[in-house]
Amino acid sequence: MTRFVQSVVTGFGFGSIYALLALGFVIIYKSTLVISFAQPSLMVIGGLLSYFFATVLGLNFFLALLLAMAAAALVGVIVERSALRPMIGKPVFVVAIITIGVDIVLRIVANRFIGPRPRPVRDPWGLSSLEIGGVFIQQRSLAMVAVTGVVVVALAVFFKYSRTGLAMRATALDQETSLAQGISVGTVFALSWALAGALAAVAGTFVGAGSGLDQQSWIIALKALPAIILGGLDSLPGAVIGGLTVGIVESLVATYQGQYAPWLGANFSVVSPYVIMLIVLLIRPYGLFGTPEVKRV
Amino acid sequence: MSPKKRWTYLPLLLVVLALVAAGCRAAEQEMQPPEDQEQEPAGDDDAQGAQTDVGVTEEPCPNAVNEDNGCIYLGIISDLTVGPFAPLAGPITEAQAAFWRRVNEVGGIAGYDIDATTYVRDNEFNAEVHNRVFQEIRGEVLALAQTLGSSPTLAILDDMRDDSIVGAPASWNSAWEFEDVILESGANYCFESMNGVDWATEQVGTDISLLHIHFPDDYGNDAAAGSEIAAQAHGIEYSAQETPPGRDQQAGAIEAVVSQSPDVLFITTGPQEMVEIVGRAAARGWQGLVLGSGPTWNPALLGTDAAPALEAMYHQVGPWGTWGTDTAGHQAMRDALGDVSEINDGYTAGWVWSYPMRAALEAAAENGDLTREGLLQAVSALTEVDYEGMLPNEAGNYADEPEQGAFRQSIIAGVDTESETGVSTIEDFFTGPTAEEHALDGPCYELG
Amino acid sequence: MNRPRSAGRGRPLLYTSYAQDIAMFNTPGKRWGVAALFALALLAPFAFNDDVVLILALALVAAIGAIGLNLVTGYAGQVSLGHAFFLGIGTYAGAVLGGDPEATRALAFGLPMVVWIPGAGLVAALAGLIVGPLATRLRGLYLAIVTLGLVFLGGHLFKEARFITGGIGAGRRGAALDFFGYRFDQAGPLLGLDLTRAQKQYVLALVLLSIFAVLGRNLARSGVGRAFSAIRDRDIAAEVIGVGLTKYKVLAFTISSFYAGVAGAVFYSIAGVVEPTAFNLLLSVQYIAMILIGGVATISGSIMGAIFIMTLARVTQEIAHYIPYISTQAIGGGLINVFQLEAILYGLLIIGFLIFEPRGLFGIWFRTRNYWKGWPFSY
Repeated sequence: MTRFVQSVVTGFGFGSIYALLALGFVIIYKSTLVISFAQPSLMVIGGLLSYFFATVLGLNFFLALLLAMAAAALVGVIVERSALRPMIGKPVFVVAIITIGVDIVLRIVANRFIGPRPRPVRDPWGLSSLEIGGVFIQQRSLAMVAVTGVVVVALAVFFKYSRTGLAMRATALDQETSLAQGISVGTVFALSWALAGALAAVAGTFVGAGSGLDQQSWIIALKALPAIILGGLDSLPGAVIGGLTVGIVESLVATYQGQYAPWLGANFSVVSPYVIMLIVLLIRPYGLFGTPEVKRV
Repeated sequence: MSPKKRWTYLPLLLVVLALVAAGCRAAEQEMQPPEDQEQEPAGDDDAQGAQTDVGVTEEPCPNAVNEDNGCIYLGIISDLTVGPFAPLAGPITEAQAAFWRRVNEVGGIAGYDIDATTYVRDNEFNAEVHNRVFQEIRGEVLALAQTLGSSPTLAILDDMRDDSIVGAPASWNSAWEFEDVILESGANYCFESMNGVDWATEQVGTDISLLHIHFPDDYGNDAAAGSEIAAQAHGIEYSAQETPPGRDQQAGAIEAVVSQSPDVLFITTGPQEMVEIVGRAAARGWQGLVLGSGPTWNPALLGTDAAPALEAMYHQVGPWGTWGTDTAGHQAMRDALGDVSEINDGYTAGWVWSYPMRAALEAAAENGDLTREGLLQAVSALTEVDYEGMLPNEAGNYADEPEQGAFRQSIIAGVDTESETGVSTIEDFFTGPTAEEHALDGPCYELG
Repeated sequence: MNRPRSAGRGRPLLYTSYAQDIAMFNTPGKRWGVAALFALALLAPFAFNDDVVLILALALVAAIGAIGLNLVTGYAGQVSLGHAFFLGIGTYAGAVLGGDPEATRALAFGLPMVVWIPGAGLVAALAGLIVGPLATRLRGLYLAIVTLGLVFLGGHLFKEARFITGGIGAGRRGAALDFFGYRFDQAGPLLGLDLTRAQKQYVLALVLLSIFAVLGRNLARSGVGRAFSAIRDRDIAAEVIGVGLTKYKVLAFTISSFYAGVAGAVFYSIAGVVEPTAFNLLLSVQYIAMILIGGVATISGSIMGAIFIMTLARVTQEIAHYIPYISTQAIGGGLINVFQLEAILYGLLIIGFLIFEPRGLFGIWFRTRNYWKGWPFSY
């Protein structure tokens, strides 16, 4: 029982990282109809910035986090302006590949700064655990869930109650009509990339908080892809639920697979998100909460 | 065409022409197929008097120390960027460059400078990449100053045998004792594990359980084979578990440690994987004695969250003394490398590995035969190597059968926050009873 | 079919029969051009160093895989990021069927080349046949991400199936290049000429590529190819006019996987050692880059793209000597080193081509050809 609870809590912790990344993906998709494969590199850059502010400069963790979010948002806007602005109107597949190209470039530059040794982000929790009824819960997992919760609530409030949030929702619904209403769609695009960058920075900070960011950390971000497919490409709550689901499933499989199904091979938990994704897609081709596309000839 | 297009296509055209020019077949550079080595010598008896074939030139090395010496090119294939040993491999390579620079500064060998910087390649700790980059430098070098990784070196072993290319491995696999072309130094993983288990039984007795977590490749399996032999000899409860490289891939290993709760945990992985397993298991309440194979330590690990756990539990079974040890060789290394920003036992390893190559080159030069065949014959005749105190001279015995010639001594190091490398020796060179008695008639883990 | 006199008189765009219109080499220009290219290709191994010849040989084999990907993604419009998976299946099928049992610890049967090349293709095609129906159910980005998932699942499978793949880090040898006793992996005589190992492998790659390129081109200009293009352009409309969606989508995946299987098996026979982590997302992206940079929905574009991408590493090394701040050492020194420069260039090229030249190298060739066709009246 304790193992189960520990596993679920760890799963929530990692799931919140995936949820943040998935939110970034979905925000970009909703406004620009493009899947951005550049999130992994934005996550690494965000984490690296946190490392710089928190570990190298020694600032307070939360201050470093906010600064990293701002800087990563700026990087997102630069990427959008330079690589994606010329591609408006081109087919979606082509733009997705361009984001892959952007990801490659940014990732190489970031890895150059990382070097061979991992870069840990200095956080106030370390390896300390809370003990509740015999269960060791890592404080950092709880912190991750809490921060993610705050971010999600802030986003929800932003989208529902602010003018800019309203503008973004309108653009996501119909770009042409929004233009007609006087909404600056270009600004909305830039803003969605900025938001995605900031969210990726939070995710990256938590990835770096443990054992540190190294040159292979970007692969973690790819697990957000099953999360968005699970939840549906254009659903924000779907992204959060998908991310948490992926995290919990991965953690549970990691804990119990060795015991119950060792024939699946070591570390099956790493691919379990993709299996879940495949299963869900076979039943609901547009994800749990996604809206089915209406195709007209 | 429009002027703008012209300026786009012109540089492209220049690039293509440059490539074509660079790749053009030059008669002197043509790689010789292994079958017909008699014809077309690249430079036979020369002014220095020694016979040469591939990888030795009369022209000085680029950035040569002695401008009027010729040049011997040695290749290095190492894990320089993304593999599990990258933080160690960079220092290994730098130390070797410093070693050969020191050799050049006293005049080189038989009128040749040694160049170990031009043909340096990254293998990403991947046998496939290793093979690919080896094919690139195969026709250019006399021998390999470094080839990192048991499995990657295995992948090129056939080609090395075919071309008589001698190589110093950056690994300690028991199979190397049986290969003529491999210039290994230090006790292999098999003996190292045996010595480690023997030492552990002295610390905690024999009524214990041992879990050995290791990489699934030849490095990990060689060590596991040794610990299994030692465990059987002592009657210890034994189990082994494989784990892949990668920090985020250790979930299975951590589960195994926490659920089996062994008294002694032997780890044969890279430093990152080791700290991940030990740190997370400790956070979940596990305690015990941790033994790590040589390549599992990196001083940077003391800066991670798991440092207290490592300080309490970690011990390293190693092939030779750490950076700060007081021997002539260590001192020469410290002098040659000077002020290093992050001291690391990769430097020590790279330095030690170069001694047999120097001895072999000197012997080959004395025989007047600096061809690949000649170097190989010189290696096979070596019965001792001057390690300047870092290893006993008889450790460099390549002439005798592995049963006699293999070196079986290890040292044990414990975590020491005062030391520059984070560890310091707590037990100097010793051979445990298991390693002493083991008949080395074959590699502990069959390669290939 | 008689060739009308007008074609002979150099009025190549005057087609007077349907057969002539869809013929593969329907203009003298094309005929002579391809012949000249083939002759140049045959001479290439004698003009370059062995290591360059080896790179070219691998590039030609990769081109087979690129043609396969172009068939499914370029012609049929089914975005597949899972090409690495099919390459891997084919590689290991070929290695198991054709590997030398003496040379490797993993499973190997030592069958001859005429068995393992088609065998690798067929096993990969079987995998494509199983994956194909997914394409019918999903579309667009969902399909792309699911094929991505396939790559990860495949990677896990390859890492676990140690008796076939040799396991992580260690890998295994590829299939043996043994054609009825004639060995392609050792230097020796061929048709009276004394060739090195790399040259022989280049010739083998060239012959295989020619066969598969012709097959691919024939497929593209046949009814099946037209059905693929219909599906790509408007799949619902295609179904309305009678093009069976399921049938052709599955067919596209199957054929493309066959090509990928053959390409993978031969590639790693030439390269020598194959390690399970090679079949990852980056490999899929590399092949996508080949077809995008080369030219989607063209066979010659696939070949150009493959050669371009595979020689990029070597080209970057040569350029690095002339650019300051780039270190040729793998560690230390310089702003970035050669390997990182190559990776950055690679990413920038993908972006650059897609923004400025969406038709890829083939598009550049097309415009150049049109310019010179109309010269001196070009516009």
